[in-house]
Amino acid sequence: MEKTEWFQKAVQTILDTDEDAAKEIAAKSLEAGMDPLEMINQGFTEGIRKMGDLFERGEVFLPGLIVASEAMTAAVEILEAALPAEKQQEKKGVIVLGTVEGDIHDIGKGIIATMLRVHGYEVHDIGRDVPIEKFIEKAKAVNADVIGSSAMMTTTQIGQRKLEQALKNAGMRDKVITMVGGAVATDHWAQRIGSDFFGESPKDTIMKLEEFLK
Amino acid sequence: MGKIMTRMGSGFPVEMSESQLMEDLSAGTEDAADRGKIPPLSKEELKYLFDLFTSTDRFLSVETGKEIVLSYDAAPLKLMRTAVDVHRIQSLQIYEKLLGADTLELGHVDYSFKPVKPIVSTEQTVLEQSLLVTHPPLFYGAMPNLGLYSQPDGPFPNPSELMPLGKIAAARDAYEKAVEDAVKDIVYVSSAMYESGADGINMDTTGAAGDADFLAALRATEILKQKYPDVCIEVGMAGEFILGLHGELDYNGNRLAGMYVHDQVKMAEKAGVTIFGPVVNMKSTRSCPWNLSRAITFTKACCEVASIPIHVNMGMGVGGVPLTNHPPVDITSRASKAMVEICRLDGL
Repeated sequence: MEKTEWFQKAVQTILDTDEDAAKEIAAKSLEAGMDPLEMINQGFTEGIRKMGDLFERGEVFLPGLIVASEAMTAAVEILEAALPAEKQQEKKGVIVLGTVEGDIHDIGKGIIATMLRVHGYEVHDIGRDVPIEKFIEKAKAVNADVIGSSAMMTTTQIGQRKLEQALKNAGMRDKVITMVGGAVATDHWAQRIGSDFFGESPKDTIMKLEEFLK
Repeated sequence: MGKIMTRMGSGFPVEMSESQLMEDLSAGTEDAADRGKIPPLSKEELKYLFDLFTSTDRFLSVETGKEIVLSYDAAPLKLMRTAVDVHRIQSLQIYEKLLGADTLELGHVDYSFKPVKPIVSTEQTVLEQSLLVTHPPLFYGAMPNLGLYSQPDGPFPNPSELMPLGKIAAARDAYEKAVEDAVKDIVYVSSAMYESGADGINMDTTGAAGDADFLAALRATEILKQKYPDVCIEVGMAGEFILGLHGELDYNGNRLAGMYVHDQVKMAEKAGVTIFGPVVNMKSTRSCPWNLSRAITFTKACCEVASIPIHVNMGMGVGGVPLTNHPPVDITSRASKAMVEICRLDGL
């Protein structure tokens, strides 16, 4: 079988949310001499990226996305075990994610957390209605690379600005990337408060984050 | 022609060339057509939008005689947001007498059915007083807001926490139980307000918590229409498609997750909804021409299949209007005119 066929089969197992098939393709590709890293990046990761696109179009739903991410994780575990230690993929980054204090909306934030996890980030979701101090405590505790804050309302959006100031006061602002999201956030808002970027959707967030972490 | 001044979806001013403008208008309608599997706007309609955006007039409107009904949701809360110190009843009077509202809506600051339930008697008093000093049809409005039924705000486990743990069955069960409680609350509050004289009930921002949220509104509508066959029920949506957070909920055999506005309205009709308010959200990182072209494509498809009046949502971050607290008049007026004239709406 050609390389591209292996990649296509891997993609299809993710689109089918079929964990058993994903594991089987991962194992058989190794037996066939495929490069495990290529199978991860051009096969299973591509599959989950396509699932993310379909989710954003309303053609795939959250439970399907979760099952697909489990299938991908299972397949990647098999492939990673075949990699030499120096080639094993490290987490792309450590992210602390929460909804600012006073705001109880967590659906969108939860979706972003899921998508970031399946794209290889270590995500610490600290929930909703989170005091500024807790963002900072958690970021210190896990040595975060990124802090993401969500706000759904104009009345709570100010918490994202307070977070920026608190990070400066704690001497941490230059050590982390900050990203803002939520229904009322915009690029302009991110610029105004000094955040590194605004993530409009899961896809947009992942693309921008990968640019920042290059 | 020189550069055309328009805006990004965030409201930020931006200049475009004629070719950039047409490219964005075409890309916007194609995006909607692709996602919704609906026809894109015609060349004539795109040219019409092009002319609107190239007009140097600051404010545009429809021709005399083509005006439509102007309704408002959550009106009393919007003056509060701007820090104007005015009571809800006075807000309604301002909307009627100064802002040209054809319908009014009373709502509590929490703007969700669940928190209104224990204070419904005080809301009935405000409604009664409002009815005495206003003339247009007066709705009582709130959101189904299924998020309030999950822990720690409600009795059921939080699906947003269960789902990432892979506990999909438990998350779905929690959504289904939330639907049952939400329906009871919507029916309780709506019945009380209708019996106190409200001319209609508005279920606003429906679907904000996904397919379960939409299902709750549909089921509550069914019950209310059985109880009060003449009640006017408006359902305003939260987005152009229903987020599939449960993923398997159906209404009369139709899966709700992933439904775009032209399918949403058919569900609303089946449930007995009187007025449907489609929503198309803005992409703040794309231009207003792109967003408006996209929003009109979705809305036109909805209007073409609807057999009930359509009052499209136009305002902060929806319907081609930028995501700003005070939407700029240049874009708001262009978006309103285009929506009315292309989609043949019944109301805004």
